[in-house]
Amino acid sequence: MAEVAYVNASRVFPGTPPVRAVDNLELSVADGEFLVLVGPSGSGKSTALRMLAGLEDVDEGAITIGGKDVTNTPPKGRDIAMVFQSYALYPHMTVAENMGFALKLRGVPKAQIREKVAEAARMLDLTKYLDRKPKALSGGQRQRVAMGRAIVREPSVFLMDEPLSNLDAKLRVETRANIAALQQRLGTTTIYVTHDQVEAMTMGHRVAVLKDGVLQQCASPRELYDRPANAFVASFIGSPAMNLKTVPLTAEGARLDGLVVPLSRAALDGAAAEGLSEVTFGVRPESLRLASADEDGMEMTVELVEELGADAYVYGSVRIGEHPERFIVRVDGRTPPAFGQQVKVTLRDADEVHLFHPETGLRLSA
Amino acid sequence: MSVDAAALQTARTGAGAAAPTAARRGRRSRLASVGLHAALVTASFVAVFPIFWVLVTSFKPDARAVSPTPRLVDESSVDNYVDVLSGARGDFLAWFGNSVTIAGLTTLLGVFVSSTTAYAVSRFRFPGRRGLMLTFLVMQMFPFAVLIVPLYNILLALGLQGRSLGLVLVYCTTAVPFCTYMLKGYFDTVPTDIDEAGRVDGLSPFGVFWRLVLPLARPGLAVTAFYSFITAWGEVAFASAFLSAADGSKTLSVGLQVFIQQNRTEWGHLAAASVLVALPAVAVFYLVQRFLVGGLADGAAKG
Amino acid sequence: MRAFLARHWYAYAMVLPVVVVVGALVLLPLAQGLYFTFTNINEATIANPVLDRPASYEFVGLDNYVNVLTGGESYGAFWSTLGRTLIWTFGCVLAHYAIGLGLALLLNRRMRFRGLYRVLLILPWAVPPFISVFAWRYLFNSQFGIINQALGALGLPTPVWLGQSDLALFSVMVINTWLGVPFMMVTLLGGLQSIPRELYEAAEMDGASAWQRFRDITLPGLRSVSSTVVLLGVIWTFNLFHVIFLSTGQNPHTRILVTYSFERFFSGASRDYAVASTYGVLILSLLLVFVTIYRRAMRRQGEVW
Ligand SMILES: Nc1ncnc2c1ncn2[C@@H]1O[C@H](COP(=O)(O)OP(=O)(O)OP(=O)(O)O)[C@@H](O)[C@H]1O
Ligand SMILES: [Mg+2]
Repeated sequence: MAEVAYVNASRVFPGTPPVRAVDNLELSVADGEFLVLVGPSGSGKSTALRMLAGLEDVDEGAITIGGKDVTNTPPKGRDIAMVFQSYALYPHMTVAENMGFALKLRGVPKAQIREKVAEAARMLDLTKYLDRKPKALSGGQRQRVAMGRAIVREPSVFLMDEPLSNLDAKLRVETRANIAALQQRLGTTTIYVTHDQVEAMTMGHRVAVLKDGVLQQCASPRELYDRPANAFVASFIGSPAMNLKTVPLTAEGARLDGLVVPLSRAALDGAAAEGLSEVTFGVRPESLRLASADEDGMEMTVELVEELGADAYVYGSVRIGEHPERFIVRVDGRTPPAFGQQVKVTLRDADEVHLFHPETGLRLSA
Repeated sequence: MSVDAAALQTARTGAGAAAPTAARRGRRSRLASVGLHAALVTASFVAVFPIFWVLVTSFKPDARAVSPTPRLVDESSVDNYVDVLSGARGDFLAWFGNSVTIAGLTTLLGVFVSSTTAYAVSRFRFPGRRGLMLTFLVMQMFPFAVLIVPLYNILLALGLQGRSLGLVLVYCTTAVPFCTYMLKGYFDTVPTDIDEAGRVDGLSPFGVFWRLVLPLARPGLAVTAFYSFITAWGEVAFASAFLSAADGSKTLSVGLQVFIQQNRTEWGHLAAASVLVALPAVAVFYLVQRFLVGGLADGAAKG
Repeated sequence: MRAFLARHWYAYAMVLPVVVVVGALVLLPLAQGLYFTFTNINEATIANPVLDRPASYEFVGLDNYVNVLTGGESYGAFWSTLGRTLIWTFGCVLAHYAIGLGLALLLNRRMRFRGLYRVLLILPWAVPPFISVFAWRYLFNSQFGIINQALGALGLPTPVWLGQSDLALFSVMVINTWLGVPFMMVTLLGGLQSIPRELYEAAEMDGASAWQRFRDITLPGLRSVSSTVVLLGVIWTFNLFHVIFLSTGQNPHTRILVTYSFERFFSGASRDYAVASTYGVLILSLLLVFVTIYRRAMRRQGEVW
């Protein structure tokens, strides 16, 4: 068990121009915490994880595990275990040999290895497959072997790089829950990389969002969802994505077509202090609703209705200034509007809006 | 174990050993089938006949071997073999032993150094990497036997002249470029994730090479071993220059020259000796032949 | 510097044995051989420890090169030998490639006896070349060779295959083709098997004929394997001396650059090391030029070596 910290760590890949794959990362993970690193493709998640594993150089800054500086320690000295996206099982070893390999290298007695492997196999429901080679296993079984290989070691930190991305949707949901439960039980510090924000939200105690190698925000899933630190996080977290539009500011609030959204005094003052005449206005689909005929609302032309059973998402265009803009609204699944219909859309609650600086993207409202 | 490695190789290349095009749905027409087999039988006949004919000749007395009306069996006996093996014409068994030692050492050493080099070139981006590969390419362009004089001087200075080890080293330099290149291509097909998993599990880079990559590259190693062995087994020019002239220290290919006299070649004896020389090479070939197809192409394609 | 070593020492440790051996046994002799080309070293002028005679060869500048490039028969008739070398090299490589590809395509089908055919067809590779050459000399022998016996029985002319005529060049090319096809076949067969089957299926659905599939999928799929084996094939064949030397000995009709270099080196009382090395350096230069052009031409299709 150990806490982990990135201290202004950077990884710069040589090239013209050099790629700052991870840029000045400052992040600490508490002992026993499940931290998820999330971000779009190419944002440097894998690189950050591999730096921690010792598979990638740390060009600037440092990394500590359990308070010890491991910046220049080779992987074997870091007491970490890693689950690879490809699983990277050793093809020439059986499942049992795969799982026990690290212990064997450490010189653990054979009987003890066998015992630990058997225990992990029981935990992961792999007992039947211990004598098989990886190529004779299904994708889900391989995934579990990769997990088992990490568990058997009893490391102080687990690292996982998109361990579920090769599984089908159903298995993924199931395994997701299993991994979270397992981590809970073992209480091992875990850093988990994914590009799937649903995984991030459901599994992590805290979620760190990366973009272009820069940490955008690290907070609990709730916090991330309710108070995204900037427009990028706001748009990245949540599905379907938050409606984010740049709209003119008036004395009362933000003006959308046929609807002025009242803003809090603090928000308006904040914007005024920056001298802004526009703001980036964000509202999640579930914070919007269809308005009745006598209410104020934005006129929206329905372009697509996505029915999910309980709910439906209505995609439509609203004129803001000169341009039509797409909005997404969550509505009751039983009575969705029809394609081409004109509807009026309004806010459920004026508090559920997010305001961001139109240029820097930073959150404005307190 | 090695079968598994081969199967793995097959799985990795995607297509596998199954024929991609022909006759999965419809059968080949009868005519096409006959044509296919006829072509292959002809080709196989051409490939095998010269060797077969040496085998046939090896049982004939020298005089019968040059009969103007060759027949399959002509006073055939194993006398030639008895003559050759009995050592009446030179210490065949000693030559054989020398050849085995030298070719075996060349194979071991050649495969070992080319695999470490190939691994370094495949996995590490170190300064000098491209230069090394280019040097290997250039090394094959010079007729090295022309360098026997300088080589002789260097071996003499190193105290290796006239010793098997010197010859082994010289053979290694001729086999290593191709072997390295082959193995590099082979290692390139082993995913680097495997290396990294090994590193995290507690191996050093050497450990990864030794315990993970080498076992996975077995088919490739088999092919390079075959190549090194063949290179050393049949070589004449260096062997005659760098081994001492004593009969007991010759290799087979040098020793066999006694059967090719200036005006009178003893075809029967030569054939029998040839068969004896070819046998070990064919045996090695038989051991590795199932790896040859996958192995060579993996090396030759840019991974 | 310490960081540099810390990062790369594994790599250098792993290439070190090869670098040492290559340096000692290739680069040093090569440098010395290059030096020889500027001297008049031969059996008479080289140091001889047995006779306790010191070296007496002298620096002669570019004389050897001038002699070789402008000299006639007494210096191996460089230009006509070069022409013959090109015929030999490209003839052999073309035959290797064409036959090898043909056989690989045949073997790449599902059929009975496939494994057997494959073993038999690779067999010539497994036999040490000096034995194969001996076998062919025996077959080609003009009096008791079985080829001429067969031709005679059919009432056809029975030529002297490996004699003093250009037919000998043809014969050694046949021998070398026989020797070299298995390597090409095996390599190309492996290349064929690594072409994903989906490509053929997709092409079939697009309505491509067998010929179009060959041209648009098989050949491009083999490109990287082919470009490598052809490059190696040219280099090896250009420098292949033992087949010719063992089949015809010193025969001006089968003389190529590398065999002449050996002739100068091994035979005659003079043992002209200087001219032999000069030929070696010229061969190296020609191949370097070839490889440079070849790689440039192939660069568009990806790295070759
Ligand atoms: N070895 C390398 N050399 C140069 N650039 C690299 C190297 N590895 C990664 N990069 C670059 O670093 C950036 C981050 O890569 P990384 O693999 O960490 O992304 P990621 O967030 O894991 O993406 P994904 O979700 O697609 O796996 C990318 O722009 C990538 O192109
Ligand atoms: Mg990644």
